[in-house]
Formats: sequence, C-alpha cells, structure tokens
Amino acid sequence: MKKLLFMLLFALSTPSFAEEAKELNLYNWAEYLPKAVLDKFTQETGIKVNYATYDTNEVMYAKVKTLRGEGYDLVVPSNYYVSRMIRENMLTKLDLSKLSNFKNLDSKLLNQTYDPNNQFSVPYTWGTTGIGFNSKQIKMGAISKWADLWDIKYKNSLLMLDDMREVMGMGLKVLGYAANDTNEEHLNQAYEKLKELLPNIKMFYAESPKVMFLEGEVKSGMIWNGEAFIANRENADIQYVYPAEGVTLWVDNLVIPQGAKHLENAYKFINFILRPEIGKIIAEEIGYASPNLEVIKLLPKKVTENRIAYPSADDLKNAQLQQDVGDSLVLFEKYWQKLKVAAGKQ
Amino acid sequence: MRVNPLFSFKWFSAGLIWFWLGLFVLVPLLMLLTASFLQRGETEFVKFAFTLENYQRIFNPIYLDVFWNSFYLAAMTTLFCLLLGYPFAFLLARVTGKYKHLLLLFVIIPFWTSSLIRTYAMVIILKTNGVMNSFLQWLGLIQEPIQLLYTPAAVVVGLVYSLLPFMVLPLYATIEKLDIRLIEAAKDLGARNVRIFWSIIIPLTMPGIIAGSMLVFLPALGMFYIPDLLGGAKALLIGNLIQNQFLSARDWPFGAAVSIILVLVMSLLLVLYYFSILRNSNNRDKVGL
Repeated sequence: MKKLLFMLLFALSTPSFAEEAKELNLYNWAEYLPKAVLDKFTQETGIKVNYATYDTNEVMYAKVKTLRGEGYDLVVPSNYYVSRMIRENMLTKLDLSKLSNFKNLDSKLLNQTYDPNNQFSVPYTWGTTGIGFNSKQIKMGAISKWADLWDIKYKNSLLMLDDMREVMGMGLKVLGYAANDTNEEHLNQAYEKLKELLPNIKMFYAESPKVMFLEGEVKSGMIWNGEAFIANRENADIQYVYPAEGVTLWVDNLVIPQGAKHLENAYKFINFILRPEIGKIIAEEIGYASPNLEVIKLLPKKVTENRIAYPSADDLKNAQLQQDVGDSLVLFEKYWQKLKVAAGKQ
Repeated sequence: MRVNPLFSFKWFSAGLIWFWLGLFVLVPLLMLLTASFLQRGETEFVKFAFTLENYQRIFNPIYLDVFWNSFYLAAMTTLFCLLLGYPFAFLLARVTGKYKHLLLLFVIIPFWTSSLIRTYAMVIILKTNGVMNSFLQWLGLIQEPIQLLYTPAAVVVGLVYSLLPFMVLPLYATIEKLDIRLIEAAKDLGARNVRIFWSIIIPLTMPGIIAGSMLVFLPALGMFYIPDLLGGAKALLIGNLIQNQFLSARDWPFGAAVSIILVLVMSLLLVLYYFSILRNSNNRDKVGL
C-alpha cells in the first residue's frame, strides 16, 4: 500500500519537476524572420525551433483554431486578428514581467484599441499598404492618391494585392468612406468603383509583390512598404507613395495561443526578439519598420530616414488601422467574389 | 483450421485499402456532408443547426457564373488535350522498337516533378522578361516584349501542359489494341481515309477518348492554382470559391455545400462514363469483336 501511494505521488508530481521540452513551435509570415536569428536563439538556449510559415492571417487563424492552440507556441497575427482572437479566448494572457526587454518598445505602438495595455500581444513589426511605382515608366508625382490608379493610361499594368480587405478597403477610401466601413450600400459602391479599375489590373498577387515590380511585370500598384523598401534597395527606380486618401496601417504581433505547450520557451523567444541587436538583424533583413526604439538607435541613418520604411507624421495623416469587421466579413466576401467574377469576364 | 495464405493476403490487402479509403475519403466526405447542412458560426466554424440555405445560395447568379467559368475552362483544356494527345498517342502506338519506350518515357517524365513547380517554370518562360520573350526578340520577330503571362491563353496552355499525359496514356492503351486488319478490310472495300477514321478508328478508340477526357476534365475543374499563377488570379473558379469559403470568408458550411455539389457533378460524369463503357462492350459483343 505504501509503495502504491509513493508511486501515485511520484506520478502526480512528475510534471512539476520535469522541465519543458527544449522545443518551440513558431508559426510566422513567410519571409518575415531571418534564419540567422533562429540559429542564434538555438545556439544560446539549446531550444530547437520548429518554424512554419503562412501567407495570410486567415490561414493562420484557421489552423490555430482547429488545433485549439496545441500545435503552435507562438504566432504573429495582424492587429485586426489579435482583437478577434482575444474575443474568442484563443490567446494566453501575457505576464509582462517575464519580458525584461518589453521596455524597449515604442510607446506609440503600445496600448492600442485592438489590445488595451498589451495584455495579449507584443508588437513585432508594423507597416503600411500604399502605392508602388516604377519611376522609369511613370513620372514622379504623377501618382499621389489611390484615385490616380483609375487613369486609363495605366491599362493592364497594375498589381493589386490578392487580399480582400486591402482591395475593398481601397475602393471604400477612394469614395471617401473608411476602410473598415461595413455599410452594405457603401460596399456595393466600392465594388462598382473597383469594377472600373479592372481593365488596369494586370494581376492579383500577394505572395511577394516586390518581385513583380522588380521584374517589370507591372508599372504600379498596391504594395506593402517593407516589400517596397527592399525593391527600392535593389532598384532605386521603384518608389513608394503614401496616397492622399490614406494608407492602411497594420501592426503584426507576437502572441501565445491558448493551450501552447512550451510557454516558457515562447517567453524566452519574445524577449530574445526584443533585444536591440536581434531586432536590428530582423529590421535590416525584412525591410519593415521596427517597433523597438533601441533597434532604431542602432540602425544607420540611411535606413531610419528612409520614408518608405519609416514614414513621417505627414505621410500617415489619413492612415487607418485595419479593424476586425466581425460578421460583416460575409459582405466583404460577397462583393469581392462579384469583383473576381467580373474580372474573369474581362 | 488452416488458412490459405493467398486468401488471407487478399483479405489483408483489400482490407487495408478499404480502411485507408474509409478513414481518409469516406469520413472526411461525411463530415463535409454534415457541415453543408449546418449554419455558419461566428466564433466556431459551424453552428449545429440544420439548414438548406447553403444549397439554395448556390443558385445565386454569381455562383452559377463561377461554375460556368470552371466548366468552360475545363472543357477547353480537355478539347486541346484531345487535339494534341490523339495524334501523339497514335504515333506512339505505331512506332516500334526502342523509340517507343523513349517516347513513352517522355510522356511520363513530367510526373517526376510536382505540377506546382512545373507551373512556376512556365512563369519563368512566359513572363515579360522571360525565356520566350527574349528568344522572340533575339529572332527579331518582336521589338518589345509581348504579354504572354497573365492572359486566359496562358491559363489554358498551363492546364493543357499539366494534364496532357492523362489524355495520352489511356488513348495510347486503346489505340495500341486497335485491330489493324479492320482498317485493311475497310481499305479493300474502298473506304477513303476520312471515312476509315470517322467510322472505324474513332468508334473503336472511343473508350480511350472518354477515359482520357474524364481524366483531364475532372482535375481541370479543381486546379485553381494554375489559373492563379498563370492568369494573375483574375478569375474566380470553383476551387478558389471553396478555398475562400474555408479561409477568408470563414463560411465552412457554404464551402462544404459547394464541395458536395462538385463531388456530385463529378460522380454523375463517372456514372455516365461507366454506362458508356458498358454500352461499348455490349456493342462489341454484338458484332463479335
């Protein structure tokens, strides 16, 4: 009997002194984290990182939701998905005291509406969606607002991100509505307006828009600023414009799904990413702006003064943070489908 | 009791296949069928409440357009595969010796690489500064690069390229079995080549034509990544529609309903195929072939 009791006690207490497996399942956007950072982390901590990537928030959300968080320890949703995941109880409440480097973050990017007091998320990078163009083919200044893309001289030469929210949001903004507008009549008008743009659209593409600009497939179109930054570094003719109607603003955040198995390792990784010298490696490689003030101090002036990655306050004048539209997503989808069907008939 | 080893092997292998199909085809299909009768849930993927609305929605003109586009594209692909594949299969069946094996190998080699990777290779060939445009410019046929990629033609070329082997192989199998004596007899009786082709060769190779067309048409209906990559994602096909429902619109029940309709349409085609084979072999029995 005594022996049995002892065994039972042993069995019950094992988990408390068994250390977390030296493993971390990280699920991030494609081309969003240099491999050197992962190697360095493993070298320093002995924690093996299983790295997987996705192209859209939707794919990430569907996977995390189906696995109920058990498959991933760390994911990187955009702000409008952070709010959704918080609402659906999918995220672990963070213990910020475990993140000694949290203080390095720019307070302007903290405590946002999508996650007040950053109870669940830590900013990873932020950026904008604006207009890119090739200055060899299009005069500087010819495009200064979204509406300029409707000009017939850009026939069959534009790229649109294959992203429902971005494209529908642009249509809404050109008409003077907010990008997060959910009024069906406004969405219908945006659809009609976007239909007029179809002859100018050469492709819908979101995997790596910079490639299409660099290879001369398109003259202009929608692009994320980080992609434009890298394209510009490779070919100075590729320029980026902050359209007058306003860019879309987004923040991608590190979050720990509810049910993650390697909690401590996830904290370690977040804290590691927030270190100035590590943030510098990331910022230099991926081209998006760092939310980390200590990182910005380390970066060369040439980079931090580049308006593509680090916009001025003026550039962000009408910028709008993308928001979760809840059930109205169905309406967005409806008009997006109509637009794609119309595109197929061109 | 002694068990015949051959007998138990038969049961084992058949059982394994049944288990495999049951677990990975039947169970997911039943889940899909169930989901298609449920309601969309905002925080969960489905809400457990019965509805027929998902099927009613398919009759919305937008979705009929989507189905029509997909069928049209699949039909065009099948037609071009047949036009290209038939002469090639004929040649393949008629050459003898080592060239035959070599030609067959050429048909099969593309299967060694994933079709997605081969599609990316087509992008490299067809893009504005790609291999094709450089070549045409080098020949002096064109001055400026012409747009080959992101056109409907590029989509059809890509689909035909990917699916051609599925047309050639069944055609080859029936053409090879074609009894040459029937053609000789027709010639002796004074039939012209065109007549021989239409009245003898085509009917006798019909099973191959139908099988090849099915093998091309059905995958072409679902292959949405080729239109996305080569056509610039400028069309909405059934495959995109289903993918969008499961991912961006998060409307799993409707996505499931569209999938079920697609499965039904495909099954219907397979049933028609089955009856056509049955009729064909009956006809053969009648004429004593």
